[in-house]
Amino acid sequence: MAERIVVDPITRIEGHLRIEAEIKDGKIVDAYSSSTMVRGIEEIVKGRDPRDVWAFVQRTCGVCTTVHALASVRAVEDAVGIAIPPNAEMVRNIMAGTLYMHDHVVHFYHLHALDWVDVVSCLSADPAETSRIAQSISNWPKSSPGYFSDVQKRIKKFVDSGQLGIFANGYWGHPQMKLPAEINLLAVAHYLEALEWQKEIVKVHAIFGGKNPHPNYLVGGMACAINPESQGGLNAERLAYVGQLIKQGRDFVNQVYIPDLLAIASFYKDWGAIGKGKYGNYMSYGDFPMNGYADKDAFKFPQGIILNDDISNVMPIDQKAEDEIQEHINNSWYDYSDGNETGKHPWKGETNINYSGPKPPYDHLDVNQKYSFVKTPRWKGMPMEVGPLSRVLVAYAKGVPEFKEVVDMALAKLDVPVTALFSTLGRTAARGLETTVVADWTVEFYDKLMNNIKNGDTRMANSEMFDPKTWPKECKGVGHMEAPRGSLAHWIVIKDGKTANYQQVVPSTWNASPRDPKGQMSAYEATLIDTPIADPEQPLEIIRTIHSFDPCLACAVH
Amino acid sequence: MAVTENSQKQETYYESIINQGYSRRDFMKFATFMAAYMGLETSSIAQVVKAMESTPRIPVIWEHFQECTCCSESFIRSDHPIVADVILDRVSLDYTLTLMAASGHQAEAAKHATMEKYKGEYILCVEGSIPMAEEGYCCIAGRSSLDILKEAAAGAKAIIAWGSCASNGCVQAAAPNPTKATPIHKIIKDKPIIRVPGCPPIGEVMAGVIMHVVAFGRLPELDRLGRPKAFYGKRVHDSCYRRPYYDAGLFAESFDDANAKEGYCLYKVGCRGPMTYNSCGSMRWNNGVSFPIQSGHGCIGCSEEEFWDNGPFYERLPNMTGFGIESTADQVGKVAAGVVGAGLVIHAIGANVMKRKELRDRINKGIKTEEQIQA
Amino acid sequence: MADSNDNWYPRNFKRAYVWELPVRVFHWVNFLCIIVLSATGFLISDPPAILSNEDATSQYWFGIIRFTHFAAAYLFTAAIVMRLYWFFVGNQFARWSAYWPWTKEAIKNAKHVVWVDVMLLSKKEHRLEDLSIGHNSVAAFAYLMFFVLFFVMILTGFGLYAPTSEWWLPNMFAWVPSLLGGDFNTRIIHHGAMWLILIISIIHIYLVFYHEWLEGRGEVSSMFSGYKFIRAERMANTYRSPVKQESTKEVEQPAEFDPNDPC
Ligand code: HEM
Ligand code: HEM
Ligand code: NFV
Ligand code: SF4
Ligand code: SF4
Ligand code: F3S
Ligand SMILES: [Mg+2]
Repeated sequence: MAERIVVDPITRIEGHLRIEAEIKDGKIVDAYSSSTMVRGIEEIVKGRDPRDVWAFVQRTCGVCTTVHALASVRAVEDAVGIAIPPNAEMVRNIMAGTLYMHDHVVHFYHLHALDWVDVVSCLSADPAETSRIAQSISNWPKSSPGYFSDVQKRIKKFVDSGQLGIFANGYWGHPQMKLPAEINLLAVAHYLEALEWQKEIVKVHAIFGGKNPHPNYLVGGMACAINPESQGGLNAERLAYVGQLIKQGRDFVNQVYIPDLLAIASFYKDWGAIGKGKYGNYMSYGDFPMNGYADKDAFKFPQGIILNDDISNVMPIDQKAEDEIQEHINNSWYDYSDGNETGKHPWKGETNINYSGPKPPYDHLDVNQKYSFVKTPRWKGMPMEVGPLSRVLVAYAKGVPEFKEVVDMALAKLDVPVTALFSTLGRTAARGLETTVVADWTVEFYDKLMNNIKNGDTRMANSEMFDPKTWPKECKGVGHMEAPRGSLAHWIVIKDGKTANYQQVVPSTWNASPRDPKGQMSAYEATLIDTPIADPEQPLEIIRTIHSFDPCLACAVH
Repeated sequence: MAVTENSQKQETYYESIINQGYSRRDFMKFATFMAAYMGLETSSIAQVVKAMESTPRIPVIWEHFQECTCCSESFIRSDHPIVADVILDRVSLDYTLTLMAASGHQAEAAKHATMEKYKGEYILCVEGSIPMAEEGYCCIAGRSSLDILKEAAAGAKAIIAWGSCASNGCVQAAAPNPTKATPIHKIIKDKPIIRVPGCPPIGEVMAGVIMHVVAFGRLPELDRLGRPKAFYGKRVHDSCYRRPYYDAGLFAESFDDANAKEGYCLYKVGCRGPMTYNSCGSMRWNNGVSFPIQSGHGCIGCSEEEFWDNGPFYERLPNMTGFGIESTADQVGKVAAGVVGAGLVIHAIGANVMKRKELRDRINKGIKTEEQIQA
Repeated sequence: MADSNDNWYPRNFKRAYVWELPVRVFHWVNFLCIIVLSATGFLISDPPAILSNEDATSQYWFGIIRFTHFAAAYLFTAAIVMRLYWFFVGNQFARWSAYWPWTKEAIKNAKHVVWVDVMLLSKKEHRLEDLSIGHNSVAAFAYLMFFVLFFVMILTGFGLYAPTSEWWLPNMFAWVPSLLGGDFNTRIIHHGAMWLILIISIIHIYLVFYHEWLEGRGEVSSMFSGYKFIRAERMANTYRSPVKQESTKEVEQPAEFDPNDPC
């Protein structure tokens, strides 16, 4: 008999995720992923002014804050036919790029690291040895024995107080924890440093969007008017500050994040064979336009789909084709007006919430019925994994040189084969690798912006068609992008200047969804199958693989 | 600043702070922050510092319901005091889905341990609203958010409702509020609740509120709506650096026009600063770098109740529903005045027709009277 | 119709002192304030685009508009307070009881006004009592509405004004926006109530002129002079309290008196 274990709440993620897994002979044989919170944002934005919708949908998530706003303004601009000025395109790229840096670093240290790093073990580390290791893998200046010794004392005082706070009941001493004490200390020190660092990089968002989380966007461009000479607005000094912040951010990524990632990964190479998933389908919409949203070939991240692990053949995607992307609700707590077995293209999508799960409190979900608030998106009926790994694979497959370089570097350093990428470890590594590439790009976006301004172009918004009275009576559009967690798109239908329909299909929707009508699993479920579980009471392994996706359930359900 | 005056006497406090691994600058930044925004005296700064050393650290349980986690995100952006310090050295954040190491039943066990051991002493922080339409709309560990909230609130010393979600319902409570998302104070009636609205609130405001509770063991001074006066006593408009342009009547007419580039007031592109109570203009965001208006976008009123339904954000007046196609108060007013005017014209014409006889009579009578008088 | 020149008989009209000085002063101060408040209010609500190269520091027009609004608001409030006082000490036409719509007589009168002045029909039988000396009951109701709206303006206006002022008087109203769900709603109500005032004002002004034109009893001038012209016998019959005017007691009823003719 298989044993059913439940992990709920899954912590160190965004939102409310529940995993139920069947364990047999120390391995997972079946798994169910469910999100248990719903808000109905797609229903709420109906009937509203499409220019306002970015703000509503932005509140889908405060962790990947900005991505929904960006997808939304793109969707409206696409529907109405508004082209934004080049400066706005670069500012949006810079904001998305710095979001990658922020989100990935915070994920690595604050959401993922405690799966691999034993905080308690760092108390027995030799700070001098930690310092030596630190200096051998990076030239980051904060690496003296005294520095690590101070951190150790601080943690000791903390642990001695008996109040373990966020570290209470962690998986300390778990047999799967394999780092030497010194590396644990290094990671804990950088956990704290990253907590301080992260609030700096988001200042870029504050400068362009006024605040973070939830900076402001604008249909037609950005609201931050440029005036190099002005006192308060986006002047020369502020722009220079942006440049400085980006470069400092890149330094942290290259000198702290990546060395730590590789150092830790080298102790967990076995995870290069766990968490692969069974379909081998990877999708990326591509992002970072350099020549307008319409010119997909000029995107920095290429668009495409890999099927069956076959990186020699990258297929094209059309978000507007009604037979490509469809959402199913056969296992989700919604109703479609024409029955539960059909899939719907998002332009025709519906969000009629109908909870039919067990009445709380409950011990188990009834997985033979609907069991999640996440809908199930499919591309031509096939499940897709989205996220850093998919982006890296598509870019690698398409021969984007930056990716060739970092991927080959990492594989060499870790001394693992390419196949190790298709795994929990590969997913976590891909996230780091793309961060360095995106950090470099962000500097490039910045330079392009500055050049453009120096050449006298200070346009930031195209207000010509800002008034909905100037819009076609009926139109529809798609705003897609690559959010940190993967491919994101919003579909809008506009009638008489109002939002007639709005659907979001979000990265975590792809990955976290329940089964489709054919019984195919989505990524979370599929990648858990066959994972060995050392101690069903402490299912650290489940958390590792799930965390490798950086789940966001507020996003997934919305 | 009040701190410098008595620096002699406070040297010992600095020392103890520095022993804890802070620089003098850290302390000054923090003390200045507290003094400026919480209206503290020199003596109470000493009290704050003393309280910071006290053990045990106050346990905090931080619940997540219907939310987007941006409040947690904003909290970790706080600069004074640095959040790592708050978490490690001042409070004991015993339960928070966003940061805690343990998952599943281990996480729940940690929470229950705190609820038992520190009954009546812990602070309950709530991020997110409660769906009252159906218990299944928000469940954690198989239990409904309503159930969890009530349980956690019962043993709490005080509750902090983070953000517009917990304070006002926020986006999920915007019409038609499909899940009947409900703010905390409408559910828990028997505990002191601090409402800290904003979508999200400023990180420093969040840290400041927690620090106030920790340092003084009581709630900060609250206004009528349960918000800390120190942070929500003033309108964004009253501390907005574009205010001189407002008074001068210089407005951006559209985004990125010449006036917008000059940094003129954003009133006419929909700024809600004159109707919004928050410290954005004075404290600004992300360690004082900017705030929405400084970056060219009007305030959307994110700390006000029901701000989502006051749209469109880019119009000065909201649309009023219920008048067929949506229209503003002025459009309705103009139409009403037009209808009334037309009615009066018809009435005037009608009166001339209907009352002709009476008028003729009166005129004749007048003539007669005149004749009489002359006679 | 029993009407022709042969039917003529002499009317004994008397000057009746109806609107005392404080009422008249209130009325015109109020009138001016509303004009000023609405004009500035519209500008506050939707300021015109003024293109100017001048420095912000040398301009203050919007500040002046707002200052004017607030100054007029204080005057407006003061006049209303004065009028409130007069509700209790004024003559019978100014007293609060003259605005009370729920008396038998008031309801009867209201029916009359609706029939004769609103629907423009004629009555077979005339009652002398239907001829009002002060305001008629429908007008009274409209004025009551005016006063309610004035209160709404004062409450919401000072509620909005409170956070900008240190003075206790505006701060007494600080609770209003929190009760109405924030400054936003408060402003909308303030703005919407203005429209109601303006619309009722238009009707009011029209009706004043309508009565003047139809009845010729000095309706318009009454708000300047205080006097209206009233049938002597109407005064004799219905004056309930001493009125500052020539005694009406000795007025004899003319022989040809026709109680069915109001004019
Ligand atoms: C008949 C009387 C009044 C009228 C017609 C009137 C009209 C208006 C209008 C149309 C607005 C613009 C509202 C908007 O669209 O946002 C306004 C704003 C305002 N009114 Fe009045 N108002 C009147 C009386 C008062 C009174 C008694 C006060 C008391 C102080 C007052 C204080 C204000 C304030 C504070 C504002 C907001 C101004 C700002 O924030 O700059 N008003 N008024
Ligand atoms: C904004 C415009 C106006 C407002 C709000 C207004 C308001 C009022 C109010 C409240 C009263 C009741 C007086 C009291 O009991 O204290 C009244 C009476 C009166 N008003 Fe006005 N008024 C306005 C304009 C005018 C104008 C332009 C005229 C004349 C040309 C006028 C003529 C009168 C007269 C004759 C009365 C007495 C009516 C009666 O006998 O029932 N009003 N008005
Ligand atoms: N899934 C997801 Fe997001 C991201 N990245 C959004 O599109 O996290 Ni909140
Ligand atoms: S208040 Fe706003 S920012 Fe905070 S959790 Fe709610 S939606 Fe997110
Ligand atoms: S920009 Fe907004 S808050 Fe600032 S002065 Fe103008 S209206 Fe007020
Ligand atoms: S939108 Fe919110 S962040 Fe501040 S400026 Fe307005 S209250
Ligand atoms: Mg959706």
